[in-house]
Amino acid sequence: MFLPLLTVLVQALSGAPVDALQAPAGTRAIVFLFTSTDCPISNRYAPEVRRIADAFGSKGVAFRLVYPSPSEDARAIREHMTAYSYAGIADAVRDPKLALVKFAGATVTPEAVVVVAGKVVYRGRIDDRYVDLGRERPAPTRRDLFDALTAILDGKPVPLAKTQAVGCFISDLAR
Amino acid sequence: MSRLQACLALALSLAAAPARAQTFTYTEDVAPLLADHCAMCHHPGGSAPFSLLTYADVKRHAAQIATVTGNRYMPPWKADPRDGPFVGQHPLRRAEIRLLRDWVDAGAPEGQSSADSRPSSAAGRPPWTNGWQLGKPDLVITLPQPYTLPADGTDAFHIFVLPIPVDSVRFVRGLEFRPGNPKVVHHANIRIDSTPASRRLDDADPGPGYSGLIARSAIYPDGHFLGWTPGQVAPLLPKDLAWRLDRHTDLVVELHMQPSGKVEQVAPSIGLYFGDQPPTHIPAMLRLGRQNIDIPAGDAKYVVTDSYTLPVDVELEAVQPHAHYRARDVRGEATLPDGTRKPIIDIADWDFRWQHVYRFVTPMPLPKGTKVSMRYTYDNSSANSRNPQRPPVRARWGQRSAEEMGDLWLQVLPRDDRDLELLSRDFRLKAAAEDVKGYEVEIEKQPGDVGLHDDVALLYLELGQSDGAIAHFRASAALKPHSAVPHYNLGTALTVARRLDEAAAEYREALRIDPSYANAHNNLGNVLLSQKRYGEAIGEFEEVVRLQPASSAAKKNLAAARAMAERR
Repeated sequence: MFLPLLTVLVQALSGAPVDALQAPAGTRAIVFLFTSTDCPISNRYAPEVRRIADAFGSKGVAFRLVYPSPSEDARAIREHMTAYSYAGIADAVRDPKLALVKFAGATVTPEAVVVVAGKVVYRGRIDDRYVDLGRERPAPTRRDLFDALTAILDGKPVPLAKTQAVGCFISDLAR
Repeated sequence: MSRLQACLALALSLAAAPARAQTFTYTEDVAPLLADHCAMCHHPGGSAPFSLLTYADVKRHAAQIATVTGNRYMPPWKADPRDGPFVGQHPLRRAEIRLLRDWVDAGAPEGQSSADSRPSSAAGRPPWTNGWQLGKPDLVITLPQPYTLPADGTDAFHIFVLPIPVDSVRFVRGLEFRPGNPKVVHHANIRIDSTPASRRLDDADPGPGYSGLIARSAIYPDGHFLGWTPGQVAPLLPKDLAWRLDRHTDLVVELHMQPSGKVEQVAPSIGLYFGDQPPTHIPAMLRLGRQNIDIPAGDAKYVVTDSYTLPVDVELEAVQPHAHYRARDVRGEATLPDGTRKPIIDIADWDFRWQHVYRFVTPMPLPKGTKVSMRYTYDNSSANSRNPQRPPVRARWGQRSAEEMGDLWLQVLPRDDRDLELLSRDFRLKAAAEDVKGYEVEIEKQPGDVGLHDDVALLYLELGQSDGAIAHFRASAALKPHSAVPHYNLGTALTVARRLDEAAAEYREALRIDPSYANAHNNLGNVLLSQKRYGEAIGEFEEVVRLQPASSAAKKNLAAARAMAERR
């Protein structure tokens, strides 16, 4: 199988540059979850992210939290991961130059981007609980990320490859 | 200059206009706006998720600020800006919203360094404080043990019951609520209960507070609203409007919370501010609304209306609309005796999460004969994203958030005690008639609840509808066959209906169960007197005197019965 020679450089929490698209052998998909420490919508999704990681983490799906804000340092990120119980289910990377944001086309936090063999196969919301800022359903009617991963593992096309995520604007973080 | 040249010149000057317009900067233009409209919540420790006090803070949210002010999601104010004006209203003018957009489009420049200037509002006051907004309270009541809110889920509701430790009657001029954990507490509905009902509900539920319904005995004191929403503090009342707080009263605080994604501890506190004199003015709380709401599944335009014509002159001080997730459009209006119509409140996009008390800056005078009315529209279809049921189901009246309500509370101030008395008596009947409907709905859901049957029976008696009272006391008696009280109550309702033989039979049943039930002997005696069965009546009154030798009323009744027997 031909793998594109693509690197998207981000920072590990140690500060070391790493290729965001690198993954251990046998990885079938990488899920990037764009987040920030103080975005309330992002944070409210922590339990759902954990549920999805529990369901797919052992099936060859790697989960990576992406912190695009240059002002969120490794310490703040570690504290955030502990507070919202992300530790152990996902790795964290910093993306202060927005390299991964640009590659993935992410616009808000929280937003999920699924990459298979170097290609974006899903980008958008985790589910449809948020209709707009200030307009929220009592419960989601679609679990878009969950459904996308299910399809990928079944070798089927992702039902809705692009959806609109609702949350905090990443464009502000670049200022 | 040719005509063409003139046109070109005009076009050029128009095109040049935006370039000539000043470039807005953070320090000069944006910071003062945010201080006035945002900082009361967007400060460290405030209700908002992030602070907006410095250029660094604001820059990180600049595009978002332009978007959410542009669509009027922020600052949060659901009422039509033409209503009111109301206390605590911080609307941005259209030009100000435009300014924020232009500033962001121009790259959100800082301008002159803002590093050493603290933002202050136009009035020159610091825009926020993390301390008590009304100053140091006379009494602070804190939840003794924090409540643990789970990480996950949608809106959560929990009711806390806090005894108010006062050793004498106090007159309350202010109540300030502090959420304890402002990130998750979305609003508080606060009432007082002078009965043990709320405390019992709390005791029956392990852990701090209870989840369930607010007891009917938990009320707004003397016609005063006590609720809290982020960024809002009710100002201190004038001395002559303080409300009376008796000993052994509990605060009942219903919190609406939003899980944050991690487990949170919540321990709100309440500060009370006392005055030194009893009120000379007491407002009244009127409630428009329906308790027979029954919205078919899928109905996208279900309308609830109600109205009331004022029997006295009043001033409208404040209003609070209340409805749940299916309400879309909420309107209140006053029609003056001369036919003039005045809007009271209009909320075109009702959001259950922003349950403000809207206090008029200048109370609205409403002369006697004014009709106050409400019209709420509900969408129980799946097109309403806030609909708690999917697919939609029939929604009936009820306090639970999955059920529906539709109330418009109006705080009005009559001219004097005489008018207050008149208004209260007149309004009481309307409220009781509506409450009866709510009880009937609740009883359909919980037919085995004796308390509900007893409460609604008393309301029926108040309304002069003894048939309703008889039916519900009979239901209570059937539910508690070994208790004397329901039979006694039933006897009373039958007496009111002048069904004396049946009344006597119920009193006798009560006395068979509890032969020492003095009130039952007494009421049976009265029934027998009405039936001119003097000998038997005297026997009953003698029994009352034997059971209650210290009661002078018992002796009087016996003497009166004997006198009647002699006169026949």
